[in-house]
Amino acid sequence: MNRALIRKTLFILAIVLVSTLAILWMPLRLGLDLRGGVSLILRLKIQDASPQQQHEVLEQTRQILERRINAFGLSEAPIQPYGSQGNELLVQFPGVSDSSRIEKLLQRQGVLEWYSVEDGPYTNREEAMAQHGRSVPSNRKLLQTRPRPDGESRWYLVDSQPIIRGADLRDAHVAVDAMEQPVTAFTLTRDAAGRFERYTQANIGQRSAIVLDGEILSVPVIEAAIRDSGQIRGARSSEEAEDLAVNLRSGALPAAIEIVHEMTVESSLGADSIHQGLRAGAAGLAAVVAVMLLYYHWAGANAALALLMNGVLLIALLSCFGAVLTLPGIAGAVLTIGMAVDSNVLIFERIREELRAGKSAGAALAAGFSKAFGTLIDTHVTTVVSCAFLFFFGTPAIKGFAATLVIGLMTNLFTSVFVSRVAFDWELLRQRQRTTLSIGMAR
Amino acid sequence: MVHPAVIHSNSGWIRQYSGAGPLYSVDFKGGVEMEVQWEGTPPVEPIRTAVSSRLPGVSVVAAHDLTGSNEVLISAELPDEQKSTAVRQMIDQALSTITTRYSIRSFEVIGPQIGEDLRHQAIMAAAGASGGMLLYLSYRFRPAYGVAAVVAMLHDAMITLGFLSLLHQAISLTVLAALLTLIGYSMNDTIVVFDRIRENRRMYGNEPLAAIINRSINQTLSRTVLTSGLTLLTALSLLLFGGQVLYGFSLTLVIGIVVGTFSSIFIASPILLGWEHGHAKWRASRASLPAGGVR
Repeated sequence: MNRALIRKTLFILAIVLVSTLAILWMPLRLGLDLRGGVSLILRLKIQDASPQQQHEVLEQTRQILERRINAFGLSEAPIQPYGSQGNELLVQFPGVSDSSRIEKLLQRQGVLEWYSVEDGPYTNREEAMAQHGRSVPSNRKLLQTRPRPDGESRWYLVDSQPIIRGADLRDAHVAVDAMEQPVTAFTLTRDAAGRFERYTQANIGQRSAIVLDGEILSVPVIEAAIRDSGQIRGARSSEEAEDLAVNLRSGALPAAIEIVHEMTVESSLGADSIHQGLRAGAAGLAAVVAVMLLYYHWAGANAALALLMNGVLLIALLSCFGAVLTLPGIAGAVLTIGMAVDSNVLIFERIREELRAGKSAGAALAAGFSKAFGTLIDTHVTTVVSCAFLFFFGTPAIKGFAATLVIGLMTNLFTSVFVSRVAFDWELLRQRQRTTLSIGMAR
Repeated sequence: MVHPAVIHSNSGWIRQYSGAGPLYSVDFKGGVEMEVQWEGTPPVEPIRTAVSSRLPGVSVVAAHDLTGSNEVLISAELPDEQKSTAVRQMIDQALSTITTRYSIRSFEVIGPQIGEDLRHQAIMAAAGASGGMLLYLSYRFRPAYGVAAVVAMLHDAMITLGFLSLLHQAISLTVLAALLTLIGYSMNDTIVVFDRIRENRRMYGNEPLAAIINRSINQTLSRTVLTSGLTLLTALSLLLFGGQVLYGFSLTLVIGIVVGTFSSIFIASPILLGWEHGHAKWRASRASLPAGGVR
């Protein structure tokens, strides 16, 4: 009996140690509402797409947006698919307080255009201006190529009206040409095809510029009349040709992006929320422990121990699962104090009943714990069942709340049944001469 | 016989549907919400006037915080074809006509589509959770227990919603989370009593059901009151110290815990008794035997 008790105590201490280490090694990450920052939910306007197509479109959009965000110098902002409909993306920018720049960046459509090249290349804007008498003709405009990895770019003078716009493109994909080189093949809509055929027929041997979002991607020479499909050559690798195809496809989507949810939180508000949450937690814990001590005497201290350990285990498990702490999460954790103490109350009341019925301390303990256990299982399982539905149908915030509650219930079962019992056994052992329990009742 | 609990429960319904019904926050109907901190006491009426002249559907609520913070929650409908940044500037301009001593602490824009999705998800979650619990309790106990517990739970949700409408507390996402927590909490309370009823039925099977139920409620009463009191303490500490953002959450919990405790004692068990009585009469009439007491 004694040896078994020591083994159990060592097991509990080991768990506390591991939990403490886990909390120290993997501190909880703070959610945006506690750190401050900008959170956006973007919805793609996709219609009549199969789930598979929709998924591809979403992934492409995510990649394009990620490229844009990286170019913006906010590379730590992750973009995640969001919602149950598969057409939404969640972007979070911790520490950013001005959302207008980001909104512009994300909402700008990936516009693909095809221009006829009039002159060029020039090494810079000044050179191009000098060549044309210091001003660009009204029916022309200057465009820059996308900078190469070494930062170099060229300027071209193009017609101000594009021959083809993004909306004219039907599809684009990677193909291999006759020389086994990777190329980007594209197809045009029927309407644009007629226009493009007339244009290419009349301009064989001329250069043209493929422009995405105002940057020249490539300057192909028109080799033959093109009707509804063609190839863009000059890719240095199949990845590059793939990227171009992705870019073209994104232009081909009705790729309007709508911001359906926007939240900006100042970091000062986040700091206040943490402060208030901790204060509420401390006040709640203090009140509960005080009442338990008054009502149950030493057994109240036992419950307080179980409560504290429950808190440590809960935080440790949340850290291990990489959970993000949000304000609803803090509220859930504070609430767990009240719910967790319920298990103790249930057991203690049962023990008191058994004592009243005239059982000895040891027998009352055993009966109290075993009889209350069935009730505990029922209450816990029911809550898990309802949490499961919150988890399946809830928004991410509600999901986090449900997960926190379920983890809290598991740790609670362990602390209130196992840890509490071990503490009682120690009390019995220490006071072997006595046959009473300090559980706040006159005998 | 009409049990007093039934009257009570009906008044909750009436309260909720005779008035304007529950208020939904921008979380559910779409719109903008801005939290502003003032250096002095916020002039609620001038703020409302200034913002209303620029945006539709404006509501201005001063912070319910006992810790002395001066915060105002401004919400408005989202005008059609307006960029959210433009709306933010509009409210900012409206506020700057009153004073310059304020700072915008948070700003949120929710599209109408998002709100609709949320309503849908909330209904699915509530229906699923109720159904799941009904099934589990029917399996662990008997169908009668499951029905009684779920009815008691719906009663709690309804009454709490009624009180929130009376107090003009808008139903936001956090209030919803609190309501869902209450569902679980009220269920716990009911199950503890039912568990005892089941146990006592095995031990004192020859006593009438009403006596068994009465005995069980009395045996679990100290636990019910103590647990509710302790949970109420933590909810109260959230209400008093948790700040503006958690106000709706805490308020819902405080109301719901009181209602939930009431229902596990006065609603769930009478329903169980009524059901079992009815069931016994039905069985007796089918067997064309005189109806006796429920054993």
